[in-house]
Amino acid sequence: MVPGAKNEQDAAEQALVALMQHYLGGRIDAFDGLYDALASRLRGYLLSLCRDAALADDLLQETFVQTHRSRRTYQPGRPVTPWVFAIARHVYLMNRRSTGRRLRLEERFASEVRASDVPHDDVRTLADADRVRRALRGVPADQREALVMHHVQGWSFADIAARLGIRVNAAKTRAFRGMRRMREQLK
Amino acid sequence: MTAPPDLREKIARDLAPVRPLRPPLVRALALVPLAAAILVAVPALRFFRSDIAAIGFLRAWGFSIGQAIAGIVIVAAALREAIPGRSLPRTVIAGIVACGVIIPAVLLALTAPRFDIGPAAGHALAEGIGCFRASAFAAVPALIAAAFLAARAFPTRPSVAGALYGLGGGLIADAGLRLYCEYSQPEHVILAHGGAIAASIVVGVALAWVTRVVKDG
Repeated sequence: MVPGAKNEQDAAEQALVALMQHYLGGRIDAFDGLYDALASRLRGYLLSLCRDAALADDLLQETFVQTHRSRRTYQPGRPVTPWVFAIARHVYLMNRRSTGRRLRLEERFASEVRASDVPHDDVRTLADADRVRRALRGVPADQREALVMHHVQGWSFADIAARLGIRVNAAKTRAFRGMRRMREQLK
Repeated sequence: MTAPPDLREKIARDLAPVRPLRPPLVRALALVPLAAAILVAVPALRFFRSDIAAIGFLRAWGFSIGQAIAGIVIVAAALREAIPGRSLPRTVIAGIVACGVIIPAVLLALTAPRFDIGPAAGHALAEGIGCFRASAFAAVPALIAAAFLAARAFPTRPSVAGALYGLGGGLIADAGLRLYCEYSQPEHVILAHGGAIAASIVVGVALAWVTRVVKDG
């Protein structure tokens, strides 16, 4: 990661830490700020896990509800992002456990096409995205998670390692192997 | 992205200032009085080992206090595990589990004059059950306290958090038991004392899941 991007990321994280402090103090505008800053990334993360747009939206709301309920577990001064993403992952796993089902990629893609106002000349782009998603589905779950967190979410390997409870080298290996597997799938 | 009105309203209704939980190690210190009570109560309610004077203060009380402190530190690790985003790496978990096995074994090796001291013939089962029961019961208060502390957080991996505080509680109880039981025969130590610690781990995992389910409603 280039130093400028790193500084930018640190500044964004510091802003989240400040918002979280206000949120703990009971300010609704701080919640709005947190939602604004995190919802998009969280939705992308949840979408990468569940591969269902509607479910990702539901899980996003549930993540913020759980975040609210467990807000006292946030330790002031510590990064907010790993804390929120850990809750999001837990929400996803709980949902998967309770429902016991996985929605198929094709169903999600179909629902996305139906729900969106995408012009017809963009269908090819969507088809490409579909190929990537199909390829991603062929990547083992642990590798896919590291791959998405690094290449899609923009997490550093150190953050991924901390989040997944693995070593930094293991995070790199997973992401690398995931990418290699994905390339094989796309050939 | 802006928050959907219904979610925002739900949050706003329940939005009161909250005080963050203290750091895990500080919260684990709440177990110190309980650990001290367990340490004293286990031998006091029965009797102290017959060779307690011979092994000396350090190897008797010193080692037991050390083992109880190790148990509290492991509970602190469990409380850290119970905070989202602060999950322990697998290597650390493996290291903690290894410590849970090694610490009692090393303390036994440093305390026992030889490894053939055991129950009288025909009493092995009864004595083993007695030690197992005493240790398992002694672990219960520590387990309940640790489960309560962990449940106040948000264990995203209940099994790991429960196993860790089960191990910590088991070590605290065993620290008291070693002031009462002087047997050093491997089969007694492994089955009765090690078995009680293993049972404590199993109960810890079960408690973690029960509290999770209760909390989730």
